[in-house]
Amino acid sequence: MKLLNSLKDGNLRDWGANLWEQSSVKKRRVLATSFIAIAAVAPFLGFGLLDTPVSDYGAVLVYPVGMFILMALGLNIVVGKSGLLDLGYVAFFAIGAYTMAILGTKTSLNTWEIMPIGIALAMVAGLILGLPALRLRGDYLAIVTLGFGEIVRISALNTREIGGPNGIANIPVPPAIGPIKFSLNDQKAFFWVVLIMILLTIWMIRRLSVRRAGRAWEAIRQDEDVAELMGVHTLKYKLWSFSLGAGIGGAAGVLYASKTLFIAPEMFTLNVSILILACVVFGGMGNIWGVALGAAILAYLPERIRFISDARLLVFGLALVITMNFRPDGLLPRKKREKASVNLAKESVK
Amino acid sequence: MKKVLLELKDLTIKFGGVTALNSVNLEIYEGEILALIGPNGAGKTTVFNVVTGVYRATSGEVLLDGQSLNSMKRHHITKSGIARTFQNIRLFGDMTALENVITATDVHKKSGLLGGLFGTRRARREEIAGREKAHELLKFIGIDEYSDRLARNLPYGVQRRLEIARALGTNPKLIMLDEPAAGFNPAEKVELAATIKKIRDAGYTVLLIEHDMSLIMGISDRVAVLDFGQKIADDLPSVVQNDKRVIEAYLGVPADAS
Repeated sequence: MKLLNSLKDGNLRDWGANLWEQSSVKKRRVLATSFIAIAAVAPFLGFGLLDTPVSDYGAVLVYPVGMFILMALGLNIVVGKSGLLDLGYVAFFAIGAYTMAILGTKTSLNTWEIMPIGIALAMVAGLILGLPALRLRGDYLAIVTLGFGEIVRISALNTREIGGPNGIANIPVPPAIGPIKFSLNDQKAFFWVVLIMILLTIWMIRRLSVRRAGRAWEAIRQDEDVAELMGVHTLKYKLWSFSLGAGIGGAAGVLYASKTLFIAPEMFTLNVSILILACVVFGGMGNIWGVALGAAILAYLPERIRFISDARLLVFGLALVITMNFRPDGLLPRKKREKASVNLAKESVK
Repeated sequence: MKKVLLELKDLTIKFGGVTALNSVNLEIYEGEILALIGPNGAGKTTVFNVVTGVYRATSGEVLLDGQSLNSMKRHHITKSGIARTFQNIRLFGDMTALENVITATDVHKKSGLLGGLFGTRRARREEIAGREKAHELLKFIGIDEYSDRLARNLPYGVQRRLEIARALGTNPKLIMLDEPAAGFNPAEKVELAATIKKIRDAGYTVLLIEHDMSLIMGISDRVAVLDFGQKIADDLPSVVQNDKRVIEAYLGVPADAS
């Protein structure tokens, strides 16, 4: 009942934050564990109702839902936390995917060994793009990142050694972890990996948010000049934000390539960047739960309404416009409440 | 002989054809309150901007403790001991008052992003120390009761004072206040004067831009006067008050002075 009321007031965020805040450490552990448990058994909870026209629910949970949540959380560090508009986020996803594809087919390294390499390469790419681009602001930064996304895709398209427009096929799936096997027919194992990556990302963001880095990002987002005059090394923290976001995109890319077995440049178009950005804005910039929820909805909805074929993008767009009209700050906007973050900081310091 | 903390040496700044500051020489001694006054457009805020690295000198030099700030990065200037407030309040509105000040204390922390992420002992120690320091400063300025409120929801007067607390958070040698009494009523001005004196007595050096003459004459150890980018006077308040050029340039008829 209380939950219903808070939904009516549009205060789901405050309801969640209060619930968490007022709970003892023990109760929080129970809450967190049950949340993770529910998420972990999500692939069994479809009951045939949630299947989409072309693929089964379990597969949709991995891609696009899980991957979108992961990437939206990564982009949220850049756009939501630090206020840097990045329109080329797909580039890091592509770099991760191509790292997996090239190393997976040409060397004997497996997915788990390639994962850190993919993340590192994406982070380095983030630094390479960020060093010159982050001296720019606002629209100019957006344009440069947009260009970067296209450069990566077009380079892949024109490099024969990595398949050019034909892409790379026969990418190996990850090796089994104990009894858990990875196969395309049953994607639960992939889902659990995505889930672990999402949880790690949430842990990281929550932790950083109440520490020096989070404050630096927040200050940069609100007033970059003043942040610098108050001693924030703005370029350094913007680079961190960029490369952390890039690393998460890269991780998603590695897993994606290892799941689809085949990648081609046409998968990494500007559309993907825009869609991920839409997830962040739609869910509520800067709020991890909002972003995750937004990504889940925006990833699932187009799959679900595939039966209306071409009209689905129209419906999708319309739904987006209507929602943003009623909730301009996103589904769950960033906290505007007082005190919450301070308490959070206090308890996490102990 | 008092020690010079900040020195402007032949400082000139030009914007295209406009000379905002014309070979200004100014010394600020350790532990004093120096008021910088002058008519609108005289170049007072330009002085703040060049000292903090927002503008770069066309010629001349800014020295802190004898060290040139001319090519230093802004955040580095802050770290080496200069902090400021803003004429038009520029707090981090979506942060609480406390977080605003903690953000400023971060400048001297040694642990960075990774330390915070993995919770190293140093990072945790610094986090707690920063929080305590921030509370201390809010108490010092007298606004600790507002520490958990979002900065943009605070009353105007508290926001002005929070700006000062945030600047003190960087642990500066020199704190520069840009019209801290703007919009204050007489009672608030009296309170602010006491606060500024308290800041000086706590060991900080204060550079103050203000238009309120009674406030300035009451608390300044020295007054420097700018007019059209040039320094026309620099002396004790009582002397400046009676300087003919200053009266002409700025104070107008003495009857208006307050």
